[in-house]
Amino acid sequence: MSRSITLGQYLPGESLIHRLNPRLKILTLVLILILLFSLERFGALTAYLGFALFLFAVAKVPFRYLLRGLRPILFIALFALIIYFFFSKGGVVLFRIGIFTVESEGVKEGLFIVTRLAALVLFSLLVTLTTTPLSLTHGMSYFLKPLRYLGLPTEEVAMIMSVALRFIPTLMEESQRLMRAQLARGADFETGSIFRKAGNLVPLIVPLFVSAFRRADELALAMEARGYRIGAKRTRMYEDIILPRDWVVLAFVLALLLISFTMDL
Amino acid sequence: MFIGTEKLTHTYMPGTPFSTEALQDVSFNFQKGEFALILGPSGSGKSTLIQHLNGLLRPTSGKVIFDGAIVGSNKRELLHLRRRIGLVFQIPEEQFFSESVYDEVAFAPRNLGLDEKVVAERVEEALQKVGMQVNTVKSWHPFRLSAGQKRLVAIAAVLSLKPEVLIFDEPSVGLDPAGKKNIFNLLKDLNQKDGLTIIISTHHLDEAAVLADRVLVLKQGRLVMFGSADYIFAQRKRLNELGLALPQVTEIMHSLVEKGLPVSTEVYTLQQAKSEIKNIKRRN
Repeated sequence: MSRSITLGQYLPGESLIHRLNPRLKILTLVLILILLFSLERFGALTAYLGFALFLFAVAKVPFRYLLRGLRPILFIALFALIIYFFFSKGGVVLFRIGIFTVESEGVKEGLFIVTRLAALVLFSLLVTLTTTPLSLTHGMSYFLKPLRYLGLPTEEVAMIMSVALRFIPTLMEESQRLMRAQLARGADFETGSIFRKAGNLVPLIVPLFVSAFRRADELALAMEARGYRIGAKRTRMYEDIILPRDWVVLAFVLALLLISFTMDL
Repeated sequence: MFIGTEKLTHTYMPGTPFSTEALQDVSFNFQKGEFALILGPSGSGKSTLIQHLNGLLRPTSGKVIFDGAIVGSNKRELLHLRRRIGLVFQIPEEQFFSESVYDEVAFAPRNLGLDEKVVAERVEEALQKVGMQVNTVKSWHPFRLSAGQKRLVAIAAVLSLKPEVLIFDEPSVGLDPAGKKNIFNLLKDLNQKDGLTIIISTHHLDEAAVLADRVLVLKQGRLVMFGSADYIFAQRKRLNELGLALPQVTEIMHSLVEKGLPVSTEVYTLQQAKSEIKNIKRRN
């Protein structure tokens, strides 16, 4: 329950992957995702899938988190497999079901797509599992900075994002507390038709809104009292300094990309 | 045993890196009609404990016992249990959602599926108990009440369940002295006149101390002291070590004893302190 609700998927840890600079993690993730999309050989792709699994081991992420992360794509993967198995032609006919034939090229392509999908998800999952949501937003806002020259308030957007992230666990905790408080008053959130259920949520939603607005108001006041001004230059409490090890990792990933590209072409 | 636990352990988010043991092996029991205090510094597991007592949280291991039966997980049983054990959360006025005081107080009895006529009786009775006239306040908007009034309405909103046991999580937090006094007078009445079993969780001993029959002290999820109020309050040193203080007046009386004035230290209210000091003066 509420003690410390996991927000997003972050799993605290002390591994090298956890401690890497978040900007660097985002950059390398993007590079790897591009690479995965451009790979055309099955062998190289499986090697990357293996590499992802290796990184999960380095980050000491329990296996079930990995499975849980893959669950949402299960349906898409199955769907892709069926489509490719039956509709992609070429190579030897493996077997027939009625008028449909399953041919070797189709099987190969289907497996290839699914492996690629799994690798894409695993690398992204690794980043979200090992980076706090706050560092992730900070990292992203760094890459969005150039948009400021187009007149977009990137600093403010980043602030809104981090405030929102900061308050999601608070509000979740609050809604659980409210739910129990109303349960203690005999409320029922489970039985009844869908309309009844929606109506039963009123005792939950109204107080939640009231407190959310109050919190927002208090937060705005507190920020202004501490000198927050829109458009003012801000510094961070935790500067994300790029350490030598970050450069080493970046160099390693770049080398990897280069090798795979030359080998794949 | 009327209400209590046996080797109650509760772990939040078990099996994850966030897992925390909020309660460990807590066993106690309170008698019917008792005024009991659950005392402990913040984060000692008080709120977790009282939420077990009316089945809002399930034990990770151990048992919760009420009126001779183990509290089960069956939905009907739980609803029945919650009708008999009222729980007033911390700052209960944050749960308000209705447009009138009447609807707010009527929420609980309506949830019990009672007839609207019976509901009206219950609302009137509950408001009367907290010192409000139903005809005056029923159409008021709950958000427009004063802080003290809100708290009273929030308590009435649980009283309308007609519980036998009433549990409060920090009942006086955030109120001014007058509001606090009001609440404690109400608690005293509920306990002494209506015979309700009252359980209060708090980290700060104040006016509740004088009313308490028995006290349970929690520290980091473990039961560290349990006994009659006099027995617990006599162990000032131990309480101080646990990060707890006796009521301010009692602390003053202890200081007076240390300074050599032979006053009684079983003094929990200003009134008692006054007469005790007067007595001493007369004797000298």
